[in-house]
Amino acid sequence: MEISPDAWVIYEWRGLSLNATIVFTWVVMALLVLGSWAVTARLSEGETVSRWQVALEVIVTTIRDQIAEVGADEPGRYLPFIGTLFLFIASANVLGIVPGYQPPTGSLSTTAALALCVLVAVPLFSIGERGIFSYLRTYVQPTPLMLPFNIVSEASRTIALAVRLYGNVMSGTVIVGILISVAPFFFPVVMQVLGLLTGLIQAYIFAILAMVYIGSASRSRRRADDPSTNDTGD
Amino acid sequence: MQIDWLTVAAQIVNFLVLVWLLQRFLYRPITAAMARREERIESRLSEAKTARTEVEAEAERLREQQKDLEASREEALRKVRHEAADLRSAMEDDLREEMEARRKTWENHLQEERDAFAAKLRQRAGHQVIEIVGRVLQDYVGSDLAGQVAGTFVDRLGRLDDEARDKLSAAAKRADGPVKVESSVLLKPAARSQITRAVHEHIAPDIEVDYHEDGDLLLGVRLTVGEQTVEWSATRFLGRLETTLDEVIEGSSRLRSGRTPATG
Repeated sequence: MEISPDAWVIYEWRGLSLNATIVFTWVVMALLVLGSWAVTARLSEGETVSRWQVALEVIVTTIRDQIAEVGADEPGRYLPFIGTLFLFIASANVLGIVPGYQPPTGSLSTTAALALCVLVAVPLFSIGERGIFSYLRTYVQPTPLMLPFNIVSEASRTIALAVRLYGNVMSGTVIVGILISVAPFFFPVVMQVLGLLTGLIQAYIFAILAMVYIGSASRSRRRADDPSTNDTGD
Repeated sequence: MQIDWLTVAAQIVNFLVLVWLLQRFLYRPITAAMARREERIESRLSEAKTARTEVEAEAERLREQQKDLEASREEALRKVRHEAADLRSAMEDDLREEMEARRKTWENHLQEERDAFAAKLRQRAGHQVIEIVGRVLQDYVGSDLAGQVAGTFVDRLGRLDDEARDKLSAAAKRADGPVKVESSVLLKPAARSQITRAVHEHIAPDIEVDYHEDGDLLLGVRLTVGEQTVEWSATRFLGRLETTLDEVIEGSSRLRSGRTPATG
């Protein structure tokens, strides 16, 4: 039984293999971009707004509100990164209902890539907000002795994020595979429905966790400025 | 399960491209459209607020104007009422005065009529009485009334006091015309010559005497010498009759005015 879409090679050319993960990622990307373009190409600013535009506005507004809820001062600054994380993972998971489709999020390579993106994004946002020296100083606080622990903390956070997404998406696929071999009828459908739910939840959790990491990095600075602020990060 | 690092790199690139594409096609247009719409709604709201404020101010102004108008209307109405009352009282006064004047005119007229009537009545009654008396005298006594009158006049002329007689004589001397003798009835030649004689005897010896008839003179003779006049007539006998007649007329008119309702 094939579990990872990485191993499903669709095209091979001079030793470079194009596996299913990348292909389906492109499919998801194309759907997202084309769908957005189709709606935003004829945006309305008047009183009458098309239902697709309303849907997109609701999605964008909700994501922005969620970002603001986590504690960011300017949601617009994090919206492209966090919003894309959520939209990509959610659509990749939801498309799993289409027969023959393999969610790219079911590949550890994809989740690792997304986690690495978050890993890089956290310091980048932090540096962009306060400057590089101020950021680097957080690694030696409260004492320089804490430096290795801080580094391990950053790394483990990334790995945890990657494995969390991969495990959840993969578990759905694995459970469906096992159930099909045990009970070929009815149960796989239920599991598919459950898979849709967990897929959406995973997208939400992943995006929110990324935002929490970014937010906690900037909050640690604010805490230094204002001692009354509570740190509610994990 | 292993990680294909090439795929990881490809996915990172894919994700970054997706971020850029979505930023380009989704987040920026949607956010901008929402911001613009919000801005327009804000501006329209503020416009509506401004318009509302203006309208409220206008309504307040109109209310004030209406209040002023009502106040001025009340004022004008009060003034007009006052003027009307003044005019009415003035007209009433005028009317009253006019009525009073008319009443006075009417009363004067009535008085004149009454006087005229009384005079006419007196005259006629006097004539009637004289005529009756004359006829009675002629029928029962056989005497001429005119002759009697002339006799009485001559007798009176003879009994004039000296002062009056001197005055008459002086007047006769001053006058260059004849002496005028007027009588109510035509005097007979005997009576005339009797009077002429008396005039010659008592006033002036050779003066000429003219005889005239005067219907207004009630049974009597009037002698006019220049500006001096001597008269004897039965008018004084009629004084009592006149008083009685006046009383009768007065009584009847009072009775009439008492019977008709008062007209002001």
